[in-house]
Amino acid sequence: MDRHVVALVLLCAGTAALLLAAAGLVVLPGPYLRLHALSPAATLGAPLVALALAVDTGPGRAAAKLLVIGLLLAAGGTVTTMAVARATVRAGRETRR
Amino acid sequence: MNAWLLAAAVLAVGGLGPCLLRGLRGEPQERLAGLNLAATVASTVLLLLAQGFSRTSYTDLALDLAVLAPAGTLVFTRFLAGKEH
Repeated sequence: MDRHVVALVLLCAGTAALLLAAAGLVVLPGPYLRLHALSPAATLGAPLVALALAVDTGPGRAAAKLLVIGLLLAAGGTVTTMAVARATVRAGRETRR
Repeated sequence: MNAWLLAAAVLAVGGLGPCLLRGLRGEPQERLAGLNLAATVASTVLLLLAQGFSRTSYTDLALDLAVLAPAGTLVFTRFLAGKEH
């Protein structure tokens, strides 16, 4: 029972982080500020949701798989955020020239 | 409807909607940012749906998306960056 409560708290935190990131992507002005919305979703929101699912599943192979997916989302999101930032910087340099 | 399905529904509307909005207009780099966030949110929604429907094999979809979406985004950035000169 306690495990379920912990899972629900983690789920609420992760969902809130993802929703905030999505809102930030629309609300924040300018391409550089919008990039800031990408990293919290990948490094905080998605792993928190994966952790919540793993806690709810309980110890075992399924939980390990969920945690691996969370780690993959965090790593992949970080790498792609840096790649998009580099493309944005390069595009800004091209237009300034 | 349990908490997982509710969270999946909320994320599908409140998370994917803004990503689509950002992905449909603006500079190509900003669209790519929208696509990037949409991939993260979509794989989270798939994870939640798998738990909500108690079909653990469905998590493979989220795993595939988590592996393939960054590769696709990297290819897109490669195309956008063009040649260094």
